[in-house]
Amino acid sequence: MSGQQEPSNPRSTRTPGSLRTALSEMPLGIKLALTWMLFIIGAAIYTRLDRLLGQALPLQDPFYQPFLFGEAKPVEGPSSAHILGTDVLSRDNFSRLLHGSWVSLMVAATVVLFGVTIGGVLGAAVGYVRGRWEAIVMAILDVVIAFPALVLLLALVSIYKVRNLTMIALVFGILGIPTYVRIARASTLGVASREFVQAAEAIGTRRTAILFREIIPNILPALFAYALINAGFVIVIEGTLSYLGLSVQVPEPTWGNMINEGRRDIRQTVLPIFWPGLFLTLTVVSLNQLGDWMQQRVAVRSSAL
Amino acid sequence: MKKSWLKLIASLFAFALIAAACGGSDSGSDSDTASSTDKEEVIESGTEAEGDVDTEVEEVVEKGNYGGDFIVGLEAEATGLRPWEDACSSPCLTMVVAIHDLLVQIRTDGTIGPWLATSWEANDTFTEWTFQLEEGVTFHNGSAFTAQTLVDMFELQKVGASAAGIVTAAGLKEVVAVDDYTVMYVLGQAHSAFPSFLVQTPLGAVFDPDAANADFDGYSMNPIGTGPFMMDKRDLDNETIVVRNPNYWMSDADGNQLPYLDSVTFRPIPDEGTRLDSLLSGTTNAMQTLRQGTIRDARSSKADGADIILLEFQGNNVGGGMYNLNNPPLDDVRVRKGLTHMNNQEAVIEALGGTGISLPGSQWFSPDSPWYSEKVAAAWPQFDLAAGKALIEEYVNDPERSDGRAVGENIEVELSCPPDPTLIAAMQVVEQLWSSSGLIDVNMTNYDQQTHIGYALGAAPDWQGSHGAHCWRWSSDNDPSTELNRQMAPHTLDVAAAYGLDGIFTPTNFFNWFDIEVFGWLVAAIGTANFEERYALYEMVMMRIARDIPMWYSGHTATMLAIESDIEGINGWVLPDGTFGGQGWAVPQLNQAFWSN
Repeated sequence: MSGQQEPSNPRSTRTPGSLRTALSEMPLGIKLALTWMLFIIGAAIYTRLDRLLGQALPLQDPFYQPFLFGEAKPVEGPSSAHILGTDVLSRDNFSRLLHGSWVSLMVAATVVLFGVTIGGVLGAAVGYVRGRWEAIVMAILDVVIAFPALVLLLALVSIYKVRNLTMIALVFGILGIPTYVRIARASTLGVASREFVQAAEAIGTRRTAILFREIIPNILPALFAYALINAGFVIVIEGTLSYLGLSVQVPEPTWGNMINEGRRDIRQTVLPIFWPGLFLTLTVVSLNQLGDWMQQRVAVRSSAL
Repeated sequence: MKKSWLKLIASLFAFALIAAACGGSDSGSDSDTASSTDKEEVIESGTEAEGDVDTEVEEVVEKGNYGGDFIVGLEAEATGLRPWEDACSSPCLTMVVAIHDLLVQIRTDGTIGPWLATSWEANDTFTEWTFQLEEGVTFHNGSAFTAQTLVDMFELQKVGASAAGIVTAAGLKEVVAVDDYTVMYVLGQAHSAFPSFLVQTPLGAVFDPDAANADFDGYSMNPIGTGPFMMDKRDLDNETIVVRNPNYWMSDADGNQLPYLDSVTFRPIPDEGTRLDSLLSGTTNAMQTLRQGTIRDARSSKADGADIILLEFQGNNVGGGMYNLNNPPLDDVRVRKGLTHMNNQEAVIEALGGTGISLPGSQWFSPDSPWYSEKVAAAWPQFDLAAGKALIEEYVNDPERSDGRAVGENIEVELSCPPDPTLIAAMQVVEQLWSSSGLIDVNMTNYDQQTHIGYALGAAPDWQGSHGAHCWRWSSDNDPSTELNRQMAPHTLDVAAAYGLDGIFTPTNFFNWFDIEVFGWLVAAIGTANFEERYALYEMVMMRIARDIPMWYSGHTATMLAIESDIEGINGWVLPDGTFGGQGWAVPQLNQAFWSN
């Protein structure tokens, strides 16, 4: 054991009160964004629970079309029975919006999960190891990036005749990996030359251990900051596909297909389009705000190293 | 052999595209013969009572003014302008008929009237049809139109992706030039309604065969017809401009040469709302639509004071879908009838945005059609959830049920529609009603239009689709034989052989339902020209469909042309014999259109 003291890893400089400090330092806009995201995440979880419990929770059935059975009418305005009105098939808008949040969040979460885990590790590995493997991996990823996601999605739907949340999320997730690899690799190139990495190498620490203990923890904040912004982007893309009828199969509600369905009556009322549009916008703006705020914090911390 | 396969495949896709995407490619017309000289009455007809949407024909009483451009908003860019090759729907047809003349036209009463063919007659067995042609007609490039033109066209038509199927369906074997202006169409079988095939552009639109042979693909960009307008500029997906043909052969009643307009501009505007807004803002002078929701919006705009005329048309074409009898449990009539009983047509029409616009369907003919039958309408299963559930229950509890599932287990049905938002809404209505029985697991799917068609079509060599309950459109305003005979023939060669019909096979029997009696009635119907006899035969066919239910209906397809109020001659154009033609399927006839000020 060497008597030399290893330079400190910046990850270890956190104080126990950093979360509370971060919350207190948050601007009002960021707090509102965080609140909205917590609401959406809560809504998504609540609607899943509702389905698991056979719609036992207090929320209207998002699929039930009352007009077929002589009850509510299509495209009704807000009322005590339907606080955000009804859609073209007289279904409750509020319930469908909450259920729609699950699809948006699941697609976004899958992309982030695939990106941060697979993309992050792969990017960090090639950025640290470098050499021939780096060239091969980056060349393959260039090809994947060039492949149009929409074409792949259409091909898979045509071949397998399946268009469910799993397939949509997997396609997005896999095609999202290369960007994370690039970011992770770029961050790793910077971190790998730091003193604490050189010190770990000097004392004979195994390269795998350096990768997972020293490098990856230090590129994670940058990856997470990007992931938040990327999640917003993915939600917009999913909404666009839904709007085009290429995302999950109806009658599963998504914000995009709600906008698409509301298009028919846009001259009569904009409400069926307005609500999902509002949810989509607020969610993307919130994710972007949180991502920007996190990026600023990462940048500040990096510059302080 | 290889060539015949290629021809077959080409025919299939042409048929499939026309059947599903167009629903009827002919320039059909209203069967109501009423005419009116009261312009106000015509204008008001756009807001008629529920379901009665056909606009009355306006008689042209004013002398046309020459000059001016006319801009039409189309629902899409044309797939191509080669009549024999490109599968055409309404936007494409609008351009094709501006450039090419048809041999014959459908009158407002559904009969066939003269155009480039001035008269015709058949032999006693309806196997030879002799047409007299208009003399002195020239193509846009100066070439003369003669009987030999039609002979040369036939060489392209019989292998054309769009025309070959119609050639086969008509049983057309040969086209013979008797003299310069007399042509004979020779059929391999009797067909008393053969001229109906010439209303369809793939077979009836006259093009310059030399120009087509000189540049097969390029023809689409520079088509040469005898029509009222000549190609001037073809900017794909932006605008196509056609200009007045100075040598057009037709004149108005006063001997003034047609057309009146200097030019026509076609602009593809795919979004329905934008297309209507373009008309309302004056960016375009007319627009077409096949969507009930847009018709509703146009009516609303007119009621709010928009200075437009709505030419609405609701013909035989009817939406709905088909049951694939190859796919259990849809092979059991109890299931098909049960599902049909549970289909609330009014609710589906509401989901399509067609309440007060579309009439519910019960057969291949609308109430205005001369072929419509009250008897069939009464026989068609009406919406009755309880009756439908009882039938499904009977199947579910049948130990001999065809789907191989255990007694008491739910049936599973795939329900598929193209991804149009209104169709998806309608599909969800049907799904909810079926699912509400608690006996049916509905698996909804949406594929793009091509995949949707291909799914029903299947693949060579069997051409057996693997679809279940599949959204589709049926019928047209042409003679019933043009649609029914090719869709009710044996669906496999084995089925044909089993009934002694060796070699007779159609890939467009998408339901895979064959009834030898129906086939016999359909063959008998093209062996006679007597309307009463034919009516009785088609009524029997429709009654059998109502009994065996290989398909279901939603509402008849409403179409509309919305035009500025000071353009005339679109509603009320006349054939050379002075009778009226219509503008079904939102395809305007522009050779007599003019600006009134």
